Amino acid sequence: MTVLAVIPPSEHVHWWFATGVLLLGLCLLARAVVGPEVWDRRPWRRYLWPGLTFALGMLMFPVMVLFTSSTLHMLAHGVWAQVMLLAGAASLGVAAGKLKHPAWNLAVPFALFVSGLSFLIHEQNPWLYSRSSFGHHMAGVVLLIGGLFPLALAWRPRWTPAAVGYALVFVVIAIVLFADRDVAPIFGHLDPDAGAPHR
Amino acid sequence: MRRTLALCALVVLALPAQAFGHASIQASSPSSRERLDRPPREVTVRFDQSVKVFPYGIRVYDVKGHQRAYGWRTLDQGRVISARVRPLEKGPYTVRWQALSADGHAVSGVFTFGVGVAAPPPSDAFGAVGPTTTEDVVRWLLFVSLALLIGGLGFRLLVLDGPLPSRLEGRFTVVTLIGAVGALEVGVAAFLLRAQGALQLPFALFLYGDLSPFAYDTRFGMAFVAMTLLLALVIALVFLAWLTERRVLLWPAFGLSIALASGLSLSGHSAVDRGASTWSQLADWAHLVAACLWAGGLAMLLVVFLSAPELRRRSFIGFARLAPVLIAVLIAAGTYLTVLRLTSLDDLWTTGYGQVLLVKLALVVAALAWGGVHHFVVEPRLDRPGLLARLPRSLAGEAAVGMAVLLLAAVLVNAAPPVAPADATETAARVQAAP
Repeated sequence: MTVLAVIPPSEHVHWWFATGVLLLGLCLLARAVVGPEVWDRRPWRRYLWPGLTFALGMLMFPVMVLFTSSTLHMLAHGVWAQVMLLAGAASLGVAAGKLKHPAWNLAVPFALFVSGLSFLIHEQNPWLYSRSSFGHHMAGVVLLIGGLFPLALAWRPRWTPAAVGYALVFVVIAIVLFADRDVAPIFGHLDPDAGAPHR
Repeated sequence: MRRTLALCALVVLALPAQAFGHASIQASSPSSRERLDRPPREVTVRFDQSVKVFPYGIRVYDVKGHQRAYGWRTLDQGRVISARVRPLEKGPYTVRWQALSADGHAVSGVFTFGVGVAAPPPSDAFGAVGPTTTEDVVRWLLFVSLALLIGGLGFRLLVLDGPLPSRLEGRFTVVTLIGAVGALEVGVAAFLLRAQGALQLPFALFLYGDLSPFAYDTRFGMAFVAMTLLLALVIALVFLAWLTERRVLLWPAFGLSIALASGLSLSGHSAVDRGASTWSQLADWAHLVAACLWAGGLAMLLVVFLSAPELRRRSFIGFARLAPVLIAVLIAAGTYLTVLRLTSLDDLWTTGYGQVLLVKLALVVAALAWGGVHHFVVEPRLDRPGLLARLPRSLAGEAAVGMAVLLLAAVLVNAAPPVAPADATETAARVQAAP
């Protein structure tokens, strides 16, 4: 298994994606604070977060095919890769004016719902079983509920509370991703069945 | 809101150190596909977290299916499971392991090693089942998807280069993306089916099955990894070409699509069977690419006929110029591969592989005759009123025959070619010599 030698540790990958998701959240938060008119004054800024989402989707494909310790994980990573690509592509198309049908605005909430379901399905332990199970449950629930914000924005694009909530979904997901694979040897597992703390 | 967010962050950060959900294999001894000079006394599997060993948690099978492991135990605070092994003779062996992960899930896997001989890939492990009808269908869908992708891009660049009406450009992008995304999804399904065939686990356990040996130690696994990554890149390039209206991006997408088709050739019969060489792999690749360009090109021609009447004549003539080149490559490479894989002419009617090949050849002849009519009869008469409007049905028929040819190609890829008498004798002798 020589390929294993070049694969980065799982926690590093989580941190990289956490950074990307945090940038995404900060972009959306800035847009929500200053308003779409000010944000879109520079044309490139319209493409910033859709482009970042698209890029994150592309980067998830190597994770899908290189982290194959279980079928469930491979499928979950594959789902995230594809919905991020879809959400990014649809948002880029809308930003560029090439996709005009209002239904394309539903791509982002769809991606969030599917991602949330994927988090919940691939984590089959209860909330307080271990740190990672808590993180997975939290991410799943936040994405499922958070999907309502872009859904609301599809009908009322200038509703500031929804825009702020939408941005905060990504900030929370970034925090979960940073914490989910923290290797610091603090505390133990909550559930005795989780075994001895490791790494 | 901010207070809640800060509280959530604190709760998450205060939770205990990580668990990876369920245990993942880190290493094994012998390692996957390792060739040993001396038989091992013990087989061990190391995990990234503690596990519990099942009775018969590690089973070591010889080629006849005799189980050789005993004395199961855990070591290193439960991170390692091991089993003693009765004395092994020269030959290939299969290790099937299963452990209870700390999170309560049973994790499973399979790998092979050889004592004095090369180890077979995990997909050929003892107990693995061969390609099923489902795999034939999945392989066919993969070919059809690749045909839409490669044929669509080839048609756009080689037959209808230049600006197109936006409606047709949009349809071309949709067809090509359906091909690319379809190939991606079907590729995943094909990989999982092959792994399931080797792991031999019920669905619930298969969800926690270790796929690493298949992804890294088999030709089809490496082809899956490479093809998935290239397909993702192709999807991005096709989308960006449409978004930015930069047709130049389609060229790298076309090049990558052709390159990724080689994954199938490098992991198929042409890479491992009798007579396999660089030439056989190149011939297989050229055969596949020409078939995809031809069948997918026909599908794209149909799209043009249905959505842009003003371009019917130009596209028909353009494709008629490209088709003879594709057919020449298809026939030359196909003949070479047939000669290579069949041991004698009567294999065509005495073996299952030969019979499928015979039906495929008949369909290819029918498709060529159909194409010949289009080329030699229809093309000189294109100016006749109403002829172009009647062509879509005929094109759909030719494309349907092309798709049927791809189905038989899929069956052939999953079937084993006939074995030469000398090879069969050698195999029989090897089996008899095995313990």
